[in-house]
Amino acid sequence: MVRGSRAHAGAISKALLDILVCPVSKQPLRFCQETQSLISDAIGVSFPVVDEIPCLVPRDGKIIEDKEKMTSANGPGSAHHHR
Amino acid sequence: MAVSAARVIAGEWASGKHSRLFPSPAAAITAFSFAIAGLASFCTEADGVLSSRVKIFDRDLKRKHRDRAAWLMGGKNDFVDSVAENLLDRLEDCKKTFSTALCLGGSSEAIRRLIRGRGGIEKLIMMDMSLDMVKHLKNTEQNYVSNNLETLYMVGDEEFLPIKENSLELVVSCLGLHWTNDLPGAMIQCRLALKPDGLFLAAILGGETLKMACTIAQLEREGGISPRMSPLAQVRDAGNLLTRAGFALPGVDVDEYTVRYDSALELIEHLRTMGETNALLQRSNILKRDTALATAAVYESMFAAEDGKIPATFQVIYMTGWKEHPSQQKSKSRGSATISFEDIQNHFRSNEVS
Repeated sequence: MVRGSRAHAGAISKALLDILVCPVSKQPLRFCQETQSLISDAIGVSFPVVDEIPCLVPRDGKIIEDKEKMTSANGPGSAHHHR
Repeated sequence: MAVSAARVIAGEWASGKHSRLFPSPAAAITAFSFAIAGLASFCTEADGVLSSRVKIFDRDLKRKHRDRAAWLMGGKNDFVDSVAENLLDRLEDCKKTFSTALCLGGSSEAIRRLIRGRGGIEKLIMMDMSLDMVKHLKNTEQNYVSNNLETLYMVGDEEFLPIKENSLELVVSCLGLHWTNDLPGAMIQCRLALKPDGLFLAAILGGETLKMACTIAQLEREGGISPRMSPLAQVRDAGNLLTRAGFALPGVDVDEYTVRYDSALELIEHLRTMGETNALLQRSNILKRDTALATAAVYESMFAAEDGKIPATFQVIYMTGWKEHPSQQKSKSRGSATISFEDIQNHFRSNEVS
């Protein structure tokens, strides 16, 4: 059973992460610890994760307008999302 | 005439049992007209991300409906439960076990509650367009604990399925897909997400649902039919949908459910709890108060049975389809026949003679 826990706020079950892809591009997603969101590098959009629930409706996606794109190799850089 | 009758009904609403639902007749009227017309003040912009397909349904409004339905959900819903039971029964017809299953929108709550270990499902992913609905499902999880079943939650749109290809054994949708703008597209994405020999099971409302509701009064008063009922699929379309989506061994069957309501208002309440009220983009935003009341009155006078109850028919179309797999039986390709019809004819003729 998946239980909510403050220590892992925003963490998504691995079983789910394994099969989730970007709704628009169908490319793999990347979980960003810092912003607690799922990033689709293919289209440069980040999707929020609320209470461990990934929200992958296209309308919820925010375009990453930052100049420094997040690198997947070394983990996330700083990203600023425009609301 | 209809208006005065409606005022009597409104009076009844205030004094009778409906007072627990609405504080005043005015509130009841407003709720009724909102339920029929949808949220009048809401309008959508063209979405730059989406392609330029024809949009019939306002998906954002549908999302708001489902948000509201999440809050209204609580009591049992017999009609929805029967549909869910029917769907889940089909899992017992197969020897297969389905370890990972995706449950799409609609009445996923009923599916989760009634699954009772059928189909050998180990991981159940609950997906809905509305975050409120998903949160509600997650928060009521402890009511239906099953040791063998891990439930995962996500928010997603059936028309943009965020699931990797070849990753699921089963996709179930109980009364969810009839609000998609691109039903073939949604079904194709479901098929892609399935592993070979995976199963697609869906129940949708068919074109005969609520045939008489609401359009009649509209026609009389405002002299024209405005689209109040969603353009639901016909049974004959369902088979085509399955084959167009590329499913093997397609199966379609239909059931009609007659649900009896104490009043037209309860019918509307029921539709709202299912998140089923009007989300057509073409809905006319101005529904006169008189028309709404007249509709209720007319519906009740026309269709009330002898015991005063209002019957409403829901036609449910069940669709099943399998993702292609070498083990499935297939018809042989053209030109590969080894026996001609003439041979068969001769065989039977010779049998007749002897």
